[in-house]
Amino acid sequence: MRGPTSALQEQFTKALETHLTQGGEAALLSAYELGRTVLNERLGVLDVATLLHEALVAACQRRPRESVRTVQAAAGFVLECLCSFEMAHRAVREANTALRGLNELLEEQTRRISHELHDEAGQLLASVYLALDDVARDLPAPAAARLQSVKTLLDKVEGELRRLSHELRPTILDDLGLMAALDFLAQGVSARTGLWVKIEGPRDDRFPSPIETVLYRIVQEALTNVGKHAQASAVTVVVRREPRRVCCSIRDDGIGFDPGTARSTSGGIGLIGIRERLVPLGGALSIDAAPGRGTELRVTIPGL
Amino acid sequence: MQPSAIKYEPYTPYLNGTSPTPPLAGIGEIRVPVESDLDIVAARQRGRALAARLGFSSSDATMVATAISELARNIVLYATRGEICFCLESHGDDPILVITASDEGDGIGDVRQALQDGYSTSGRLGVGLPGVKRLMDEFEISSTVGRGTVVVVKKWKQ
Repeated sequence: MRGPTSALQEQFTKALETHLTQGGEAALLSAYELGRTVLNERLGVLDVATLLHEALVAACQRRPRESVRTVQAAAGFVLECLCSFEMAHRAVREANTALRGLNELLEEQTRRISHELHDEAGQLLASVYLALDDVARDLPAPAAARLQSVKTLLDKVEGELRRLSHELRPTILDDLGLMAALDFLAQGVSARTGLWVKIEGPRDDRFPSPIETVLYRIVQEALTNVGKHAQASAVTVVVRREPRRVCCSIRDDGIGFDPGTARSTSGGIGLIGIRERLVPLGGALSIDAAPGRGTELRVTIPGL
Repeated sequence: MQPSAIKYEPYTPYLNGTSPTPPLAGIGEIRVPVESDLDIVAARQRGRALAARLGFSSSDATMVATAISELARNIVLYATRGEICFCLESHGDDPILVITASDEGDGIGDVRQALQDGYSTSGRLGVGLPGVKRLMDEFEISSTVGRGTVVVVKKWKQ
């Protein structure tokens, strides 16, 4: 983003002067149009503030004895200049609310799919087991033994289904809360990857559901990143309740990375995903990492 | 959606700089024809004066003026002529300023698209109609291709 040009400054100063000396709706309209021009040129609200301020200083310098009255008379002009930014601001707020709603909808759908996988598919598998037992009874021994290998495969299918269902949306997150769900996640990750994962936090505490969901997803994403890129042997996840916010840090002892270059590599996509999840809750992510020194992600979410 | 009938009143010089202040109750309708940038100024002036008489805050009055700007600008840009009409409604003791922008232009083919941010056939950022919708308390639009567009917006006194 480049700053406002001196030509634009001159336009502001001139328009304010017209407003102060002649008044009238035409001058107010040109103030509005100037603000809109600034917005269209992708300049920011601080640029308008600067342009307005400079114009006001010039106007006061021209009337050293009437500065207070000059500032008072500029009120309508200032509002007009900023009104297009008010529209843009409202648009962002609206988009944010929509994004939050979309996230909740996605989470709800994931929850439904996860429960259906677990319940419906689980039920079907149970009936298949019963049917197999039934068939086995009527078969001679060698054929029954071959059926046993089918059952072993089915066990694997059942295990996969359960894992998939839990990873989509662990029921434990709804039933027992974030800490229990993180413990469960850590066990799964350790078993799969050999990473040593330690979870610390207030075991008896529950957070608002949207915060628990987002933190769970972030830790899940972070652990996936560690498993894929960090070459770490241990990860510590700490959840902390602070006055009016929740903090969570995920620290590993891996090879680290240069946060400046992560944006352009595939490793950055996980971080972008984490940031996106934080936007609707007004949360923030900071990264402490350097080549050879491990990585620490720190997440804070306000609103407790 | 059918747009209500659009009537053009013969032009009367509402604003000659010394026009009498409109009475508060029973103002009926105040119509401002819109064909040029000068008319945009006139419509804004009339809207702002009404907002002030109703006791709107200066930021609400500014939002009213902005809505009028955007609506009137659309008329000038896309329909060449139309009008902005003001009237009052009330909710209990609270006055509501009702602004109707109507034209007999080409109409909007896809109203939903026109209400999306970033959509503008003149290449400007989509502050226009979606922006107006966000500044006002109520917003209604009806448009028929070949017949014209009517936008009704309402601002409640806070």
